[in-house]
Amino acid sequence: MQLRHIAWSGMKRRRGRVLFMLSAVALAIGTVVSLATLSAAMRAEVGDELDRFGANIVITPKTRALDLAYGAVAVGGLTVDAQALTLDDARRVRTIHNRRNISAVAPKLLGTVDLNGTPVLLIGADFREERAVKGWWQVEGRMALGAGETMIGADAAAALRRGVGDRLEVGGEPLDVVGVLSANGTIDDQAVFVDLALAQRVLAKPDAVSLIEVSALCRACPIEEIVAQIGAVLPHARVAPIRQAVAAREKAVLQFERFAWVIGALVLIVGALVVTTTMMAAVTERTQEIGILRAVGFRREHVARIVLLETMAVTIAGGTAGWLAGTGAARVLGPVLAQLSEPVAADPRLAAAAVGAALLLGLAGGAYPARRAARMEPAEALRHF
Amino acid sequence: MPLVEIERVTKTYNGASAPVHALGGVDLTIDAGEFVALMGPSGSGKSTLLATLGAMSPPTSGRVRVDEIDVYTLDVERLADFRREYLGFVFQQLYLVPYLTAAENVMLPLAASGMKDREQHDLAFGALARVGLGDKTMRLPRDLSGGEQQRVAIARAIVNAPPLVLADEPTGCLDSETGAGIMALFERLRADGLTIFMVTHDAAIAAYADRIVRLKDGRLVEAYESRAAAAGPVPA
Repeated sequence: MQLRHIAWSGMKRRRGRVLFMLSAVALAIGTVVSLATLSAAMRAEVGDELDRFGANIVITPKTRALDLAYGAVAVGGLTVDAQALTLDDARRVRTIHNRRNISAVAPKLLGTVDLNGTPVLLIGADFREERAVKGWWQVEGRMALGAGETMIGADAAAALRRGVGDRLEVGGEPLDVVGVLSANGTIDDQAVFVDLALAQRVLAKPDAVSLIEVSALCRACPIEEIVAQIGAVLPHARVAPIRQAVAAREKAVLQFERFAWVIGALVLIVGALVVTTTMMAAVTERTQEIGILRAVGFRREHVARIVLLETMAVTIAGGTAGWLAGTGAARVLGPVLAQLSEPVAADPRLAAAAVGAALLLGLAGGAYPARRAARMEPAEALRHF
Repeated sequence: MPLVEIERVTKTYNGASAPVHALGGVDLTIDAGEFVALMGPSGSGKSTLLATLGAMSPPTSGRVRVDEIDVYTLDVERLADFRREYLGFVFQQLYLVPYLTAAENVMLPLAASGMKDREQHDLAFGALARVGLGDKTMRLPRDLSGGEQQRVAIARAIVNAPPLVLADEPTGCLDSETGAGIMALFERLRADGLTIFMVTHDAAIAAYADRIVRLKDGRLVEAYESRAAAAGPVPA
């Protein structure tokens, strides 16, 4: 017979008290798990929104004068004082420490050209990268894929009288119009999109780019860090995050996370107090039993270990039950409380954290009762001599 | 060389209104293999002396030596080790752990020593067989009679073969017939060489001992060889 056997036998005898403590721990851990799961799911959804939104970092040359605008973003490439961006700058973006979080780097060169007597905005782009940062585009036809193809904005298509299947000559090079962008109220409506190399040749700016759009997977990284890292490798450029689209949602998530931390901490404190009071009551109830153990030669550390073994066994079980209940609650409550559009997934790492937190809770709550039990003197405990 | 040496032991408690002098300078020696009974009226200090000898209540002054170990120079954890290795306790109230079987109760001193399960099992079953409970090893205390529970307590006291067994009114809660059976068991243990120090207020029970000492107002006032010891072993 080992100490754990005595602890287990004692727990079996006091099933009611054990169940009460287990329920309290499960409730505390379950509450924390459900709040943490909801927070994580909400943050993931914000990350998804950012990803769907497309580019969330824009790199432009450092300049005070903004001569041309692209959407809401100033394009400095057309000013004379700025150091122009190059394709090499686009390549250097993928050398930062958090490069695994970079999903697309889309360089662009912008300029105006006259096509058949109609002035239009010419945008040279890397179509493969562009597809990744412009997932939200609505295109009649399809996205352009290579050098012999072009896409045109809705207004430009009307002005040029071109549609899908037509041909358009740019810089003396005939291009197939494979897609027409639906009007989206941005400068894209007036643009003709061609391969970046063609635009550089037509605009006589070899190797130059006006701006670089970067799509970073922000679910797993703070975007400010990525911005800082890009800024470090491109000191001559201005690197700015675009967060406005989901800023309000992010703020709500942040507030929810703070609320979750506070509530979680309070619940854990209450849980630890329940463990303490329950174990104190158990220790008091077992005064005579502890006296017997001490009289027959159990050391103080043996008695403390028995109390802590019981506490930890109950809290581990409570932590596991709490994780299951908390995850289940988050699945049910997620769509209702947090307007989550996707079901909340169970996180095994959170299970380990829940059991670890329960163990800490058990140690914190059981330490004082264990100490008190250990310090009982046998003669006093037995009230015999 | 005596197994137990109690030298000028005093014990004073802080009473509500005035100090209580429970022991007033007790000197006593017990030889190995001796069966000594301590008698005295209520409040004479019997239980205090037993607790002091049992490494559970340090004296205010004086010294307790068992097997040449100065008991109260040991720290609190070593005192626990000393109780486990040198002493066996038999209490009037039995003090069995109610949710452990007879065998598990007997294993308690062994569990604290970290002994392997198999070895504990063999020793506990052997001790229970020795007290006549070889067929009731797996019973819980509530399923045993008072006499059987006291036998379990005795088995627990002797399971790790301590040099000294301390018994406090071991027949106090038993009827006379069952009590006689318990005393016969003590007689056999003494015959096997065990040293026993027993507190009792019952002269008939004390008569089983080799020597009877009397305590009054915290002082030993009388010590004599018992009639039974003089007459020979008590029949079982």
